[in-house]
Amino acid sequence: MLPVERIIGEEGLRVANGELILACRLPWYRSLPFSTVEFAEVSIDGEAFDLADAQVEFDGKRWPLSENGEKVDTFWFVRDSAFLVLPGRALAVGSEHEVALTLYVNPPYIPGMRRHNVQAETLCVAA
Amino acid sequence: MTTENGPQVGVTLYSFTNEWLTRQFELDTLMAEVARRGMGPNIEIIGFQSFREFPDVSDNFAAQFKDLVAQTGLNPVSCAINSDRFLKPGQQPIDDAALVEYHKRQLRSAKKMGFSLVRYQFALPVHLLPEIAPYAEEIGIRMGVEVHAPMWAGHPAVQAYGEMYEKLDTPVLGWIPDFGGTASRIPESMLNAARKAGADESLLDKLKEVWLEDGMSHEKAGRLREWALENGHAPAHIQAASLAFFILSNHDPKSWEALVDRTIHIHGKFYGVDDNGVEEAIDYETILPLFRDGGFDGTLVSEWEGHAYDTRDAFNQVERHQKMCRRIFAA
Repeated sequence: MLPVERIIGEEGLRVANGELILACRLPWYRSLPFSTVEFAEVSIDGEAFDLADAQVEFDGKRWPLSENGEKVDTFWFVRDSAFLVLPGRALAVGSEHEVALTLYVNPPYIPGMRRHNVQAETLCVAA
Repeated sequence: MTTENGPQVGVTLYSFTNEWLTRQFELDTLMAEVARRGMGPNIEIIGFQSFREFPDVSDNFAAQFKDLVAQTGLNPVSCAINSDRFLKPGQQPIDDAALVEYHKRQLRSAKKMGFSLVRYQFALPVHLLPEIAPYAEEIGIRMGVEVHAPMWAGHPAVQAYGEMYEKLDTPVLGWIPDFGGTASRIPESMLNAARKAGADESLLDKLKEVWLEDGMSHEKAGRLREWALENGHAPAHIQAASLAFFILSNHDPKSWEALVDRTIHIHGKFYGVDDNGVEEAIDYETILPLFRDGGFDGTLVSEWEGHAYDTRDAFNQVERHQKMCRRIFAA
């Protein structure tokens, strides 16, 4: 995998206050507004996660995933991980799970380009 | 060797995209490494790649950056800015006023950090130049539009910009040639990456054939895709092979001559320089003398884009490329 194809972040998966938090990387060479990124699918151990109540966390701020498409002036710095917050699913700290993420990137200066990115990793749940 | 008044050879930090994305360097350590290896002093930085605060850089960060420049002895020549019009996928682009303001924000940040020019993009509609150029004049920064594949000197968009440049007649506007628009062949390293991804030789033979045909990049990519699906090639292999359509096109290397006069900066796009000092795909021996003999005295930044398909050491590639460019400029 090339560095630019990586979408599961180095910080992996952790659990805090009853929420699962998955680190994500932006698969592009530069920062982009969050509105141009679609967090499309997450599955854990082969089971698709319902993202209806998921949130995005970046640089100390959180917003509902459903509002991500409005974030035209909030930039995902390409070096940093953003975090997908997944409520309502308890996983034991230290347990290992197969996590798959699908993400689309729509570079805002290339009309019509929609890049499809998928990555699956076995992750150990951190505290 | 370059002379004091002739073309200078520098580097864009974009060459080190793999090292940057994998967090091997911070901005300060990357700039220090570039300086230590003598790859500057002139550098280009993509605002949205290297600056966390872009497009609105604070006074505090600008001061920190200037300190970093002073410590490393580098010269921040070019800041690449972006014409992000399509902020909501599938919806209408942002309106003209918002796009003009978006450019002004980036121009202000680049100026504040001490860059002498910005690289901008054809995604900015040409009719907005009369609104933006006076602002660049007012704050004292030049703007070069990047002539990037599939564009080249003879492309209609380049001609439309050229007409507007004549009309506005200001020294702040110019060209930034990117040599990917006049590639002579598809780099072997790119073909090897597609082979490694599993692409069959028959698919790559067809790619080489279609790449040389006339037409827009997306049309040619569509043509290859249609043929490849009919002939049983996997979508992943087709995607790996199609990269060539979007970053390289096959126009006459001598065509750059028409743009030399207004060229303010150059992207020395490259994919690999061999042990004999020859680039894999781009005919530098033909292109660089056009600029040298035409009086270009700005900076050519080495821009290694092999990172789009390859994890070779970028520093080694840049060293080879700079040596080649200096040899040709000095000939």
